[in-house]
Amino acid sequence: MRGALEAMTRGAGPALASTLGLLLLWQALAMATAGAWILASPLAVLDWAAERAGLLTRATAVTLGAAAQGFLWGNLAAMLLALVSVLVPRSERVLSALSLLAFCLPLVATGPILRVLYGPGTGPQVTLAALACCYTTHVALLVGLRAAPPGWLDLIRSYGRGRVTALLQVRAMAALPYLAAGLQIAAPAAILGAMVGEFTGAERGLGVLILRTLRGLDVAGTWAIGGIAAAAAIAAHAAVGALARRVTRAPPPVILAVAPPRPGRGPLARLAGAAGLILLVLALWWAAMEAAGLPAFFAKRPGDVWAYLATGPAAGLHRAQLLGALGQTLAIALPGYLAGLALGVGIAAALVLAPRVAGVAMPLAIALRSIPILATAPLIVLALGRGAAGGIAIVAAMIFFPTLVACLQGMRQTPAAVTDIFDSYGAPRLTRLIHAQAPAMLPAFFASARMAVPAAILAATTAEWLATGRGLGALMATVASTSDYGMLWSATALIASVAMLAWAGLARIERAVLARAAPEQLS
Amino acid sequence: MPPFRLTRRSALALGGGLAAGLAAPFAAPRLQAQAARTAAMQLSWLHSVQFGGSYIALDRGYWAAEGLEVVLQPGGPNAPVEPPVVSGQALVGISAADYTAAAVEQGAPFRILAVAMQKNPFAIASLPANPVNTPADLAGKRIGMALANTPVLQALCSLNGVDVTAVEVVPTQYDAAPLLAGQVDCLLCWATDLPVAMAMQGVEAVTMLMADHGYAVHSQTYIATDASIAERRAELVALLKGEVRGWTDYKADPAAAAALTVRMFPDAGLDLPTQELQADRQVPLMFSDLTDANGFGWFTEETVAANIETLALLGRKVTPELWDRSLLEEAHG
Repeated sequence: MRGALEAMTRGAGPALASTLGLLLLWQALAMATAGAWILASPLAVLDWAAERAGLLTRATAVTLGAAAQGFLWGNLAAMLLALVSVLVPRSERVLSALSLLAFCLPLVATGPILRVLYGPGTGPQVTLAALACCYTTHVALLVGLRAAPPGWLDLIRSYGRGRVTALLQVRAMAALPYLAAGLQIAAPAAILGAMVGEFTGAERGLGVLILRTLRGLDVAGTWAIGGIAAAAAIAAHAAVGALARRVTRAPPPVILAVAPPRPGRGPLARLAGAAGLILLVLALWWAAMEAAGLPAFFAKRPGDVWAYLATGPAAGLHRAQLLGALGQTLAIALPGYLAGLALGVGIAAALVLAPRVAGVAMPLAIALRSIPILATAPLIVLALGRGAAGGIAIVAAMIFFPTLVACLQGMRQTPAAVTDIFDSYGAPRLTRLIHAQAPAMLPAFFASARMAVPAAILAATTAEWLATGRGLGALMATVASTSDYGMLWSATALIASVAMLAWAGLARIERAVLARAAPEQLS
Repeated sequence: MPPFRLTRRSALALGGGLAAGLAAPFAAPRLQAQAARTAAMQLSWLHSVQFGGSYIALDRGYWAAEGLEVVLQPGGPNAPVEPPVVSGQALVGISAADYTAAAVEQGAPFRILAVAMQKNPFAIASLPANPVNTPADLAGKRIGMALANTPVLQALCSLNGVDVTAVEVVPTQYDAAPLLAGQVDCLLCWATDLPVAMAMQGVEAVTMLMADHGYAVHSQTYIATDASIAERRAELVALLKGEVRGWTDYKADPAAAAALTVRMFPDAGLDLPTQELQADRQVPLMFSDLTDANGFGWFTEETVAANIETLALLGRKVTPELWDRSLLEEAHG
């Protein structure tokens, strides 16, 4: 308790400074965009909030309550998935694929199903918050559970103990910092997931209020709600960070490992594995909808999508429409993905090189991640327009945060023995960054690159819906309003397929790089 | 189509399959409202005075008098009306003729039972300095709208002989800010929301109602499935009776409806002056000589024929059988 208090007071100085910096930036931006009806000044926002303190308190309690439940369930599921993956290594591919797919499902397709299943209440909000957390924490944990020196695992084996002992004694400890990063990534995602979940027909909450303020030209209200979401996310981020610092005492160890021999799977075996996975996913998709008795009108089965795209009337037209839209979406998603990764790594590096100067960056980054894009997109559109530049910027803004957190955490995993050597030679910070911290960061970087794959595609569809009006996002918005659920589920299946392909491609690159930089990850 | 029955076990199976067990721990699905005389009505948007007559019916016990308990389920951007009605989770949905026609084309067995908005609320809103007073004024203008509404603009233009390619469509969020900020010259929106928001901010927009220029699409329509009409007719009639009484009261005193709305939904973030203005502005859309003569929700062969014509321009082929007035006649009876 006292330790936590000390930690808080120690952190109070920079925190105060960065909050002040953030407020000044906000005020300046509000003054610069006056007349555009998209950003209110901090004072106007405070005034608005003070007048409606009761309403805001109730809405915040509802939304944060749903977010907290989703955070709990989503992260528990992620831990379970990761544990099973480590204990039963053969299950890893399948579990990772399912976790990715659950993350890929767009809200336009899942929203109506969740609301019909749960009826009134917070069910959809909690589920969407959980789905927003699970995949990223799962990916981070998988990396963490492997970030242990092989010698330690050999030691366990030499005592005749098995995987469970290794998991409890070595892997769990090694995974803690990565789990912390995963939870820090998950916190704003859960809050946003709960708010967006309210778009499925909730009675109350911050998401309901922001819809009201957006349509009501209530700019101060929009940013008051965005400010609350951001403040909650920043607090959650800080709390997880403080907890992680208390729990992890030992400095990061030096991990020296050799790459294991490549698994001798021929192309045929790989093909069979992929086919098996696809069959499993299709079977689960069909069985889940059948078991819930969901009408095929809005819950299309794999067979319906196949008919829509391959055998039914106008299937060729449907395919052409879908592939054309996909091309437009990828033209935004791919540059947005790369820009988001670069932004995340760049800010992480800046924070390491100049921790004080960059103190404003982290709260700003969390704010960008937790304020609904509905509120921030108009700012980006104003600056960059509705063309490709605006779309790419929206994607980058929506996805850079996990990369930032993961890379920052990865750099902190630089073995103390290594940084000591650099320090003893008085090496400049940049040298240390390039030669020690960047290599140590690589496993975490690739984890974040995997997290960002589905996120970038979904972000691109959001950008298209909000700004550019092209591609899969615009197509899905249109067909959702005309009950064309055949197209909606076809688009969903396509998004999931593309995400899986990109993910598999990334895994190959990752394998090649980590074989040199962090072979323990390949075991 | 098999009746939609949701059990705890099936919900668990769905959670276990689709999301690898994610949804399972907190699955608390509501059983289908099948207890005697309970009915859910799926609204098309968040709670607001847009549904003021229904709130009056609830508040003054008009449904209770019929022995019916009605649950009003709010909508939202990702809460389409059709799925809960198809699944039976809601007995009635508040839709519009164009949405309903599209859903029927996709196999939904819907009928339109009553029409709350006689005039379609779609409008072109512009600023007085650069107004759109008639469809011809659209030529050369930048219009901000959701791209999903492109067929609506096309229909308006072809009804009025305007070249739609002369209008520059800018995809915007549903928000008046782009108009006030000068990013666009006009907006495609409902006459009862974004113009009201602008008026509350002191900007009186020019509002050209599309219904005044040939765009005849029944809006805020009550829809139900064929199965419900066959099996739950008495409940549907009772529900419509309450709606008729509620909306008749609404017409007599829209301000009271606004006050009730704000009081009934303290967490919805509504403010009274906005709700009062909206309540006033939707009166001329909902009540006409036709409803004065025949009562709330009425439609005739002529208004249906006009709808079929406009719907054809929107690419929807429908027949008069989409409309079924018999339940409303019983309700008025």
